[in-house]
Amino acid sequence: MQFDAKTLMFVILIGAAFVLEIVIFAMPIPLIASVIAIIVLLCSIVGFSTKYYTYLLLPALRMKGRAIVLNADEPFIMSPSGNAIVIREGDSVYASSFVRIPIYRSATEMVDEEKAAFASMFGRLLTSTTEPVKLSAQMYIINKDDYINKIKARLNAAEERYSRLIANKTVDKGSSERIRGEVTMWRNLFENLSSSRSQALLVYGMVSAMGGSEEEAVNLAYQKAEEFAAGASAVLGVNAYIVRGDEILTLIEPNYMIPVETVSERIMQKNVEEAI
Amino acid sequence: MDAETIFYISIPSVLILILLSALPRYGSFGIVVAILSLLSIILIFVINYADFLIFPAITQALGISVILANNYTAPKKQNCIIKYIGGIYYATGYLTANIYGYVFSAENIIEGEEAQLGSAPERWEKIVSNVKFPFKYNIISSAKDIQKYREELEGQRGFLEFQISRESNSTNPNQMTIEALRRRVSILQARIDRISTGERPLKSIMYMETTAVGVSEKEATDALELQLNQLETLFSSFDISMTRIIGREMHFLHRFNYRIYDFKNISSIFQDQK
Repeated sequence: MQFDAKTLMFVILIGAAFVLEIVIFAMPIPLIASVIAIIVLLCSIVGFSTKYYTYLLLPALRMKGRAIVLNADEPFIMSPSGNAIVIREGDSVYASSFVRIPIYRSATEMVDEEKAAFASMFGRLLTSTTEPVKLSAQMYIINKDDYINKIKARLNAAEERYSRLIANKTVDKGSSERIRGEVTMWRNLFENLSSSRSQALLVYGMVSAMGGSEEEAVNLAYQKAEEFAAGASAVLGVNAYIVRGDEILTLIEPNYMIPVETVSERIMQKNVEEAI
Repeated sequence: MDAETIFYISIPSVLILILLSALPRYGSFGIVVAILSLLSIILIFVINYADFLIFPAITQALGISVILANNYTAPKKQNCIIKYIGGIYYATGYLTANIYGYVFSAENIIEGEEAQLGSAPERWEKIVSNVKFPFKYNIISSAKDIQKYREELEGQRGFLEFQISRESNSTNPNQMTIEALRRRVSILQARIDRISTGERPLKSIMYMETTAVGVSEKEATDALELQLNQLETLFSSFDISMTRIIGREMHFLHRFNYRIYDFKNISSIFQDQK
């Protein structure tokens, strides 16, 4: 956010409009005075718009084609320590850290008093700091490809053993029944897994800090995150921890929230739903 | 309207009024200048109160998109943010989601509030179990300065008590007005009592976002519309105020994924959520 640029733009535009108004009062030709008046009106409207649109007006002046480019770079970079992301806005450096809050309790296992207490705990968590905190509950898609592959390998191995057994005439009936049961179990698991939804819900907090350098911003954000994690652990009785590396990307990047491996499955599912 | 907005509105308006005072100088073009001046003042007010209508209309008419970062674009309608990567489009849309009935600060002192708060976790679980797509519910918050907030509440209470005594001492006291004022005093008193018990007041903004995928931009945005509609339907049981966020405010919500601003700046960004 360029708040100084905002004031500067406002002063320049309003100043220009004021000077042009003086010119109007000295202008004897009505047509030119009218044209200048229209310029004054434009300056006044754009001047007011700087209140909300300074961040767009400056890049719009450099616009090429039909796209205003606010930032051509990546929106963030991962800190070398992997526990924060670094954002550069103009000359300022900011860092944000993320705190995962694992909650395993369900309302179905609570009595009414516990439910109210559980809801008010979040209020206490949010008021535990005067620093701005973002608390998010995120439903995301799990990439279950690895798990599916593991189950499929087990199923294949069991089927292979079973076919070897039935080829061997000397094997007793009990052993073949047991292997057949194993094959059925892996097949059922595999089929259920493929058809079931693969979503998960997680809760996390996010804190940000500004620093004179990247290291300073990251350290300050990490410190705030540690404080928030301690507060969350104490208030909710869970083991909150600071998120690192790729896990951060799941919280901020859409292509990690919906892994590319699951996209075709989702599109197919959507098409089936639409057809139904 | 805050002081900053008054300042930003008044100076261009004064300039336009000065322009109007020079009407004789425009000769036969005077009427055109007068009409344009009035339209300009109206436009300034519309931008202030409903820029979410003006800005997307301009970008759509001119076919302008906004590139927020590498791979992230707000299309000309300014109603979502699209990430294009690896041949797949990820469209993200935003909704306000102010849970007025379930506020965490001492805002809602009404009968049955505890019961309503108690039902929140169960309602939440029911909704979540019915959502079949990724979404996020976000609350950005920070605790208020207790002393300042308490003084503010005590000032309001004092003013209401003055109104009650004035109404009581009038020649024809209206019992209904007095009752209404007393009720407001008791609400304020309950808020003050809550602060005394250690509860801290909260500044917050709440919003939801959901992401849809597609192999084309249209497919992703169409899927997003469906998801946003479904979220609105599912969360309606939560007595929640939901409005689609488009344009400038959406650009900033996207930035909130990476960095949180302080509340002074957040207040200047969001017109309604203060």
